[in-house]
Amino acid sequence: MRYGVVIDSRKCIGCHSCTVACKTENKVPLGVNRTWVKYVEKGKFPHARRIFQVTRCSHCEKPPCVEICPVTAMYQRRDGIVDFNPARCIGCKACMQACPYDAIYVDPDRNTAAKCHLCAHRIEIGLEPACAAVCPERALIAGDLDDPDSEVAQLVARETVRVRKPEQGTRPKVFYIDADESTMAPTAARHESFYMWSERNRHVHGGGAAYFLASPFLQRNTLAAYDVAHDRPWGWQVPVYFWMKAVGSGLLAVPAIGLALGRMSLNPLRDIVLSTLALIFIAATIVLLISDLSRKDRFLKVLTSTQPRSWLSKGAFLLVIYSMFCGALLLGTITGHAILCRFLLWPTVIAGIGAAGYTAFLFGQCEGRDLWQTPLLPVHLVVQAVLVSAAVLMFLPTRLGASPRSQALAIVALSITLILHLLMVAGEIAIPHSTVNAEYAVWLITRGPYRKLFWGGAVGLGGVLPLLLLFASSVSALAAALSGLLALGGLLAFEWCFVMAGQRVPNS
Amino acid sequence: MGVPKVNDLSNGGGRLSSCPPVEKWDDWVEFDAEAWPRRVERHYQLIPTICFNCESACGLLAYIDKETGQVAKFEGNPKHPGSRGRLCAKGPAVINQIHDPDRVLYPMKRVGPRGGGQWERTSWDEVLETFGARIRKAIQEGRGEEVMYHVGRPGYDYIMERTLQAWGIDGHNSHTNICSASARLGYVLWHHADRPSPDHANARFILLLSAHLESGHYFNPHAQRIIDGKMAGAKLAVMDPRLSNTASMGDYWMPSYPGTEAAVLLAMAKVILDENRFDREFMKNWTNWEELEVDGFKADGQNFDAAIEALKHHYAHYTPEFAEKESGVKADVIVKVAREIADAGSRFASHLWRGSASGNLGGWQAVRALMLLHVLTGSVGTKGGHNLNAWNKFVPKPFSVPPPQKHWNELLYPPEWPLCTHEMSFLLPHLLKEGRGRLEAYFTRVFNPVWTYPDGFSWIEVLRDEKLVGLHAALTPTWSETAWYADYVLPTGYSSERHDLMSQETHASKWIGFRQPVLRVFQEKQGKKVDFTYQANPGEVWEEDEFWINLSWAIDPDGAMGIRQWFESPYRTGQKITVDEYYRWIFENSVPGLPEAAKKENLTPLEYMRKYAAFEVTTDVYKLNEKPVPAADLEGATVGPNGVVNRGGKPVGVALDGKVVTGYNTPSRKLELFSRTMADWKWPEFALPDYYRSHVHRSARDLAAGMPSADFDPQYMPIVDWPKDAHGNVYTLLPIFRLPTLIHTRSGNAKFLYEIAHKNPLWVNPLDAEKIGGVYTGDLLKVHTEIGYFVLHAWVTEGLTPGVVACSHHLGRWRMHKDDKIERFTSAWVDLKEVGKGQWKMRQITSVEPYDSTDPDTRRIWWSDAGVHQDITFPVHPDPLSGMHCWHQVVRVEKAGLDDRYGDIFVDTNLSHAVYQKWKALTRPAPGPGNLRRPLWFPRVARPAESTYYFG
Repeated sequence: MRYGVVIDSRKCIGCHSCTVACKTENKVPLGVNRTWVKYVEKGKFPHARRIFQVTRCSHCEKPPCVEICPVTAMYQRRDGIVDFNPARCIGCKACMQACPYDAIYVDPDRNTAAKCHLCAHRIEIGLEPACAAVCPERALIAGDLDDPDSEVAQLVARETVRVRKPEQGTRPKVFYIDADESTMAPTAARHESFYMWSERNRHVHGGGAAYFLASPFLQRNTLAAYDVAHDRPWGWQVPVYFWMKAVGSGLLAVPAIGLALGRMSLNPLRDIVLSTLALIFIAATIVLLISDLSRKDRFLKVLTSTQPRSWLSKGAFLLVIYSMFCGALLLGTITGHAILCRFLLWPTVIAGIGAAGYTAFLFGQCEGRDLWQTPLLPVHLVVQAVLVSAAVLMFLPTRLGASPRSQALAIVALSITLILHLLMVAGEIAIPHSTVNAEYAVWLITRGPYRKLFWGGAVGLGGVLPLLLLFASSVSALAAALSGLLALGGLLAFEWCFVMAGQRVPNS
Repeated sequence: MGVPKVNDLSNGGGRLSSCPPVEKWDDWVEFDAEAWPRRVERHYQLIPTICFNCESACGLLAYIDKETGQVAKFEGNPKHPGSRGRLCAKGPAVINQIHDPDRVLYPMKRVGPRGGGQWERTSWDEVLETFGARIRKAIQEGRGEEVMYHVGRPGYDYIMERTLQAWGIDGHNSHTNICSASARLGYVLWHHADRPSPDHANARFILLLSAHLESGHYFNPHAQRIIDGKMAGAKLAVMDPRLSNTASMGDYWMPSYPGTEAAVLLAMAKVILDENRFDREFMKNWTNWEELEVDGFKADGQNFDAAIEALKHHYAHYTPEFAEKESGVKADVIVKVAREIADAGSRFASHLWRGSASGNLGGWQAVRALMLLHVLTGSVGTKGGHNLNAWNKFVPKPFSVPPPQKHWNELLYPPEWPLCTHEMSFLLPHLLKEGRGRLEAYFTRVFNPVWTYPDGFSWIEVLRDEKLVGLHAALTPTWSETAWYADYVLPTGYSSERHDLMSQETHASKWIGFRQPVLRVFQEKQGKKVDFTYQANPGEVWEEDEFWINLSWAIDPDGAMGIRQWFESPYRTGQKITVDEYYRWIFENSVPGLPEAAKKENLTPLEYMRKYAAFEVTTDVYKLNEKPVPAADLEGATVGPNGVVNRGGKPVGVALDGKVVTGYNTPSRKLELFSRTMADWKWPEFALPDYYRSHVHRSARDLAAGMPSADFDPQYMPIVDWPKDAHGNVYTLLPIFRLPTLIHTRSGNAKFLYEIAHKNPLWVNPLDAEKIGGVYTGDLLKVHTEIGYFVLHAWVTEGLTPGVVACSHHLGRWRMHKDDKIERFTSAWVDLKEVGKGQWKMRQITSVEPYDSTDPDTRRIWWSDAGVHQDITFPVHPDPLSGMHCWHQVVRVEKAGLDDRYGDIFVDTNLSHAVYQKWKALTRPAPGPGNLRRPLWFPRVARPAESTYYFG
């Protein structure tokens, strides 16, 4: 049994009855939608037309929201319906990043994720979803795709159908007959400051998707006449989390490498300081993550109700494991167990790599944010972690354990990692991306609302300048310290652009 | 966690139903959507009713939660023949209307000056007593015509005409003349029935001069069948200056310049005539070609071919090229569509209801021309063709019918407009200002003229004058700008809170729909005794049927005036009739087939209608003109020279091929190609369908811009005088397009509808945006009319003919006090000032804002726009023939100045009275032949006694 929907655009008159019926059936609050009808006008007078597209969850066969949900609040039923359980949801909003279709919202009453669930509560008693039952044109047809006698199966078999964003690999089960590119491609239509009979909802989180009045993504003579805004749910907490985690997970990296290369020796004071700092930053990271949850009261569910395929879950465990290793190392150093410390060091570092790099896999599960799904990201995150280690090591004062050897190593490490980091930034930004979604995010960063922060902050003050300062660092300790500080700032600036631009791409 | 047994609908393979089966409506179990995925059962009583949000009368199914006793949601009623279980967005939104925290829940009485906005709660008894006394006094003093009932949205058939006729007064006023009067005149002249009923589902070609895939009567049921037709292979052409959603679905979008539709249609008629593709038999048998008099030709004594030649000659200059020059629609498209219509033959359906007929002077000629196409193709009364509304509508007779009133109220039907289809309602302020009468007791009923009508400030000036309007009650489910100026605001129910019986021409069928107060029905099912519907409804919201029965008794408590008898029970002699009894009698006696259908289910007819809320009377509705007149009805009848069969002074049929068939209710009993009535009533030049240049014709626009034009004829077209501060290029404003999610006033507190649509910018074509001065979407524009201006944002779109600007008149609600609990989802708090005599200025102080209430959603209002009220800046434009208010305006559009704010409005009612005089001067007043006020054969709502049709 596989439930799916056919949206027959030959019949849809764009009346919005489905929108309202869904709201009254499922008590959906104002400001959020489980389904909506997008209008786009195309052409030039008198050869113009307005296209209507009923838009909602695609009930994917391979739902990325289910895969990323750390607590199985999003789940796929055996009948193929992708449903959700508000009692389990912790409000991490990873599902909203994983969804390529803008299907999910945060319920303002419960602060948990919600979306179209094909009215599973009706399906179960043999009723059509509310939208299909009300549609005056029978343009919404729900049914079992595996039943060859069902209307949906016959339509999918006999008509020309298409799905939204097939390249995402989600295998949607919502099929459109007679869909049009002007509405299917999220970036094709020009969005003005309002629509033909409504405002754009500016109260959505993060300002919603970012639009341009002119860009190479726009289809000619294509105007968005009505649309609904969607939350861009991750706020400042997430770029800062990146940064703090880089600090927490990377701090021990350069000393470990230095030890291995014989360029540094064990220094209890330094190691205590670094381990303590690492623990503080990891703790701060965890607190930050919890503070970003819409249901903070349920944070423990990540560990107690873990959904193992989610990299948010795996990451949580990695953070815990790393903290434990770090703590053990700290204890070992404090109590002077040198052998224990030597034994623990590399596992800690490796756990640190895990803690630093897992986010790349979490971001890789975010099917709605193509910019984030980059193969460079795991390495980039590790490079950033090592960069942080080098930077901190550089302005660590001698009374806290620094030495000329550690300073020298730090400078070399910082130079290498800074160059690598900038190379990877170039790779992220300059290489043509494989999807429009990713390209659009790059456009947002390089030419859109984030351009000043990116070019001025991430590249200039936070990239090129520290690199130049490093050349002078042999002469000036101040230059070195400044370089480290600026590099740290540049990391934050880049992460900010990366996260924010990545999520502000229109997806519907 | 299985399926609750009582609801086991699964029939293998996961086949899904649209609706719970009827046999389970008394206890339907669903899982609570909010508790899901926890399976919490909720038990519902399902009670059907009829939606009250437009005149389509779609079937609703109310879900009453047995635990709370409240309605939880509305879905469609699968047993309703018109809507078939499906609804437009306004249907499910009824739940928003009934749960609106700003609802009027109790009868309110004014405290302090009229328009001051101070109210106190009163009782229904006090209302009945007060109005009963006033109306009694007026009638007894021979001032019955100072009592007026003015309806906006009816939602019923006949019952109010009956009530007013029972009172013996000519007191029925309506909104029709700002709505569909012109289209109706066009249809009346052809076949007496004043509305079309297109059989879209069976058509091969559909031509819409309407936007029935998104609005209009009867949006939902028509939209369903237009698409049914399309999916079965029909082609759709839409003639509209604006790219409506309907035009977007059309195979052809013909963007005709406003007012030029008749030219295009007649060009198509010419193609069909010239190519001899018309239905000869049909035209010969069923038009009154034998009466044809045109261009010196007289058909009397001539044969049919000669008449056809005369027609061809008359329409010779309506070439496709001429039509293209007038309308902008390409000649080759006109020819193509004409040929497709000819191909479709008898399966050609169309609709023209408001749209261009409502916007343009002479708009009724577009209907005359459109019907000509049907007559040429023989698609009248056929499957897939144009049916008469009267053939698809069924109004059952009640237990007694009062005789017609013996008065003619010139406030309703003034002599200047003898051919107007309905009351000259929008002229009421001007007629009162001219001293033609006054109002002792005035009921505005689901009617908001201050806001919906043109020239609302003239309404305010008249309504607040206690000498002109003695006592004003607003019978309304919701607050409105007009209610603000009433003495009483009386809450009457929404879709699920009242009784009504209605029938609409939605498709090839005759059906009746029964609206019922579902909570009352529910409580009575539980065994509770409910005497008055307001006991079951929220607060003390009443229903009108009970109100009017009780008011009639209050007017005539002892029956001495002869009024009370019409409201006495047919079952309990001398007792006050109950609403149940009124409908019970109708269902038992007046609806063929209903008693039999009820008996089959062991129900009384009333129980049957309570169970299904709809009944299909018949589907035998095609070609009713060809039905033979029964022999019994022909006893003593005589046949006139033109074949018309008269009996007892009344026409009963027409002789055709040796038989007497019913024919049409026109003087000739045929479709009147040639209208003797027009000739008799001083408009001989329009006896045939022709092209009447609109008041917004290019020549009128050019003249208004200061460039005289040869095409402008001041005998037919008024001249625009601009207020002195009106600047900017001249355009035609198209202000009447509707939105699929809204109606005028009642949708105001439906939050889910307003979330979708709340802004009405000015649509401007990019070419015009450039001409106005490099205008982009979002720029502020000032639109000047003949009497004032309004300020709003531009929406630059390719979906509009150049030369035309457009704005929807569904938005722009306002309220006078910030904190009044009035329509806060939709209205702006305004500062309204009279800055001079008749000079009104309105400025928005704050717009829509979130607020605290029992509904948490009111804190989540994310939009702030209330729209801009444009209607109030329009002067009245009464069409000299149809009496229609011609909505389109010649306007000047400029970029707004530094002192202008979004939502600013200014009007000078002195200027609007002058415009009224100008349009009145175009009329050719009664009397007509025989000193008549109005043609006797024309339909008239609440038709008075024949003697009153004569002057003196």
